[in-house]
Amino acid sequence: MLFLFVLALLGLCKPLLAKDVVYNFNVSWVTANPDGLADRKVIGINGAWPLPVINVDKGDQLIVHMYNGLGDKNTSIHFHGMYQNGTNDMDGPSMATQCPIPPGSSFTYNFTVNQNGTYWYHCHTDWCYPDGYRQALVVHDSDAYFAGEIEDEFTVTMTDWYHTLAEDIKPEFMSLYNPTGAEPIPNAFLFNDTLDTSLAVKPNKTYMLRLINTGAFVAQYFYIEDHEFTIVEIDGVYTEPTTADILYLGIAQRYSVLVKTKDTATKNYAIVTMADSTLLDTIPSDLRLNLTNWLEYDASASHPEADITVSVSSDLDPFDDSTLVPYDHMPLLTDPVVSINVAVVMANLDNGEGYAFLNNISYTAPKVPTLYTVLSAGDLATNALVYGEFTHSHVLPHNGVVEIILNNNDTGSHPFHLHGHNFQVLQRYPSYGADFFDYASGDPHNYNAATNGTSGFPTYPARRDTLVLPPGGYFVIRFVADNPGVWLFHCHIDWHLMQGLAMTMVEAPDQMQQRLTIPDDHYAACKAAGVKTEGNAAGNDVDFTDLTGQNVQPGWLPAGFTTRGIVALVFSVACAFLGMGSIVLYGLSDLKFVNKDDAIATSAPQEQYHDEQ
Amino acid sequence: MVNVFAVQVFFIVFRECLEAVIIVSVLLSFLKQCLGQPHQDQAIYKKLVKQVWVGSILGVGICLIIGGAFIGVFYGLGHDIWSNSEDLWEGIFYLIATIIITIMGLALLRINKTKEQWRIKIAQALIAKSQGHKKSRFLGDWARRYAMFILPLITTLREGVEAVVFVGGVSLGYPATAFPIPVVTGILAGLTVGFFLYRGGNAMSIQLFLIASTCVLYLIAAGMFSKAVWGLQYYRFQLAVGSDVAEEGNGPGSYNIRETVWHVNCCNPETDNGWDVFNAILGWENTGTYGSVISYNIYWLFIMLAVSYMLWEERSGKKTLRERFLGVLVKVPGLKGYAGKKLDVIHQNPDEIMRQVHQGLFNEPAIEQGVEMK
Repeated sequence: MLFLFVLALLGLCKPLLAKDVVYNFNVSWVTANPDGLADRKVIGINGAWPLPVINVDKGDQLIVHMYNGLGDKNTSIHFHGMYQNGTNDMDGPSMATQCPIPPGSSFTYNFTVNQNGTYWYHCHTDWCYPDGYRQALVVHDSDAYFAGEIEDEFTVTMTDWYHTLAEDIKPEFMSLYNPTGAEPIPNAFLFNDTLDTSLAVKPNKTYMLRLINTGAFVAQYFYIEDHEFTIVEIDGVYTEPTTADILYLGIAQRYSVLVKTKDTATKNYAIVTMADSTLLDTIPSDLRLNLTNWLEYDASASHPEADITVSVSSDLDPFDDSTLVPYDHMPLLTDPVVSINVAVVMANLDNGEGYAFLNNISYTAPKVPTLYTVLSAGDLATNALVYGEFTHSHVLPHNGVVEIILNNNDTGSHPFHLHGHNFQVLQRYPSYGADFFDYASGDPHNYNAATNGTSGFPTYPARRDTLVLPPGGYFVIRFVADNPGVWLFHCHIDWHLMQGLAMTMVEAPDQMQQRLTIPDDHYAACKAAGVKTEGNAAGNDVDFTDLTGQNVQPGWLPAGFTTRGIVALVFSVACAFLGMGSIVLYGLSDLKFVNKDDAIATSAPQEQYHDEQ
Repeated sequence: MVNVFAVQVFFIVFRECLEAVIIVSVLLSFLKQCLGQPHQDQAIYKKLVKQVWVGSILGVGICLIIGGAFIGVFYGLGHDIWSNSEDLWEGIFYLIATIIITIMGLALLRINKTKEQWRIKIAQALIAKSQGHKKSRFLGDWARRYAMFILPLITTLREGVEAVVFVGGVSLGYPATAFPIPVVTGILAGLTVGFFLYRGGNAMSIQLFLIASTCVLYLIAAGMFSKAVWGLQYYRFQLAVGSDVAEEGNGPGSYNIRETVWHVNCCNPETDNGWDVFNAILGWENTGTYGSVISYNIYWLFIMLAVSYMLWEERSGKKTLRERFLGVLVKVPGLKGYAGKKLDVIHQNPDEIMRQVHQGLFNEPAIEQGVEMK
């Protein structure tokens, strides 16, 4: 009895020990020059950049009071990887779960962090996080199975860096003159938002590195010279300790690795981050693709530049994350009640600009944030129609197993992120390794349940919240719809999100209506931004099935001759015939000169001849 | 096909060749009428005929050399410049070619009229020589003696150089391999038609042949005008897009949708076999832009207007533009001599001058002396 009481007390202790972690973020423009190449305007918090790393313990209540002091730009914060179970309204993506927060407005994010691991936070309004508005979010967990081994930990962010504001990049990227949709080439790459740094370590200890790709576009390879490491966490999910020597971090992916230091402290070793150059359409000569930072055993010893042994990044053979086994050994989810089968397609629409599609829909934001549509649509909330055609919404039943089959009909890789969940990775093809780029040109290789089969699915599939879709390949993922909310599923390359590479999961809308209450400051932001908080995707709050006036993607390019083309061609042909007719007329009228000629040629000499005789 | 047969080159060579043949044939028929009769001295006649042939062949020979050198230098030195910004240069060259073809093309349909005018011109030249006031006795004598050599030499040379310049103008965008065949076939066609003209073949069928050729020539010209506009527009698009345009092949992004009237994702004359012929003759592009479609139609409208005006001019007997222009020039001091002569040709009564030639020229002792002296 006493034993039971103690157990119960212990159980209660955890939440009782949980604390509120409060941040006040005054978001404003500051100037920064992290690569030493150019000053630029970046989004700072409380007048500083790089932004503060958010540190919380598992179970804490994270409260962020944000004030938009940018003056000229809407904003919001998405806490990447947070499940937000029960607090969908705190997820952050504009026009999905909230309104964009206009300049001068305040907004409070307040949610419980009942999970552990390495995350990050970033702006999720339009395309604002490449302007510097992103940083690590670390959830410490003293109960982690490896916690006892660790001497110390480092958080490492790696990112691409642009010298131009994203809003100025946009008109050149989304342009008639960029028909291939070639993504903007970064001006630099950063390591912890700077260059040439060292992580000071002692010999013969174990350190944890929390690696995060906080970039907007370019994936990064990561390795440490002469060091192996042990993967213990991906995207907040502890894994069975697994040895690796090279990692590939797609945008928004995280790894925690344990590094055992050497016995002697005589030398510093290069930490190499290498940009995945296959993503870049052109590589400017002044762009440094490889960065060297150091695992510093001895600050006074030399810090040598890494000796790069491969000519291109794709020669590296990174660890295949789909083979990892979660530490909790959660078994394969079976019998999905919903299977969503979509393909990534890049194409041009009739304004000549490049767009990205899942099947044939390029995500186009609705007029009312989808969450608010859920809450105002009543019984119609289970009807995907009300969320509009171009939010590409799927309504998922509560607690059902959901499968997403994502084919890639594009030649580039795409790091896909699902909000509010991590998902089981059932199959990915081609996976990391020598054949990863096999379908980077030529015909894509789509998933076929009959031939690719369910038999190959792992017993304990790896789980994460961001997975890289191989060029021309596919992946199959599953998750349980146990988190009522509006969750985006999108490519985390911000330029592709700009092009519409996203779709919406509306999970258990009836549960949301019962459980969720939107705080007043969220509605106040809408009012300030002039965005409706009730109605369907078209803003119609009377007839939710009437989507007249919804935001739509531009029209499709005509496949061949349109009326206009036919008329033009007919006119041209008619004109040509009339023109040739006039030439014929002119030509025939020349015959009148012939007779005269003949007269001279024949009669004149003969007359003369006769005269002489 | 376009790379070994530049259609517009064929037509220009054909046309210039035909004109040269006409001149020679006019000369020959003069000789035949005046000296070639059975009662006349066959030796003189044959010598003069020989002079005509030698003169014309020498003229053709010289201009072939000039032409070869011209084109050789052009391709040797300049051609790399064009290939860099191909569409810009193609646009400009097509524009030049269109203008050249448009101006000279309709003359092909006045072959009989041209023939008559040459007859007058030559006759005039001969009369002028026989009556001529001699500034230099030696030169005058020489010129008179070899009139039948100099005239065809100068005229074939003139037509030949003209052909070279025109061919150069219309073909700047072509590789050197596109020349030999159209030049040779053009010469052959010109000679053939000229022969039939000389022999007094069926005027109607010759004329029909010429009409058909001219129609094709103008189809090409209209197409080139349209392509010129297209090329310049495309060049601008390409500048803005960069190298990605080529990467797109026929698909979206290979054309500027905002200026497109039609686009089909195939049938690209640059890449798809067969369509380059369609492109060379009709100016086909798999993207029709507002510029290219409108310019095509405007070109034909212009041709129709030009033809109607010329027909009206001929029929109403009003002064032609050329006459009016020369009329103005006559009043300009310094140009009086030049313009006056040209006007004389126009105002000459052809029958009258012919008679003068027949009566006077070849019976004149000077010529016979000259010939005998030889």
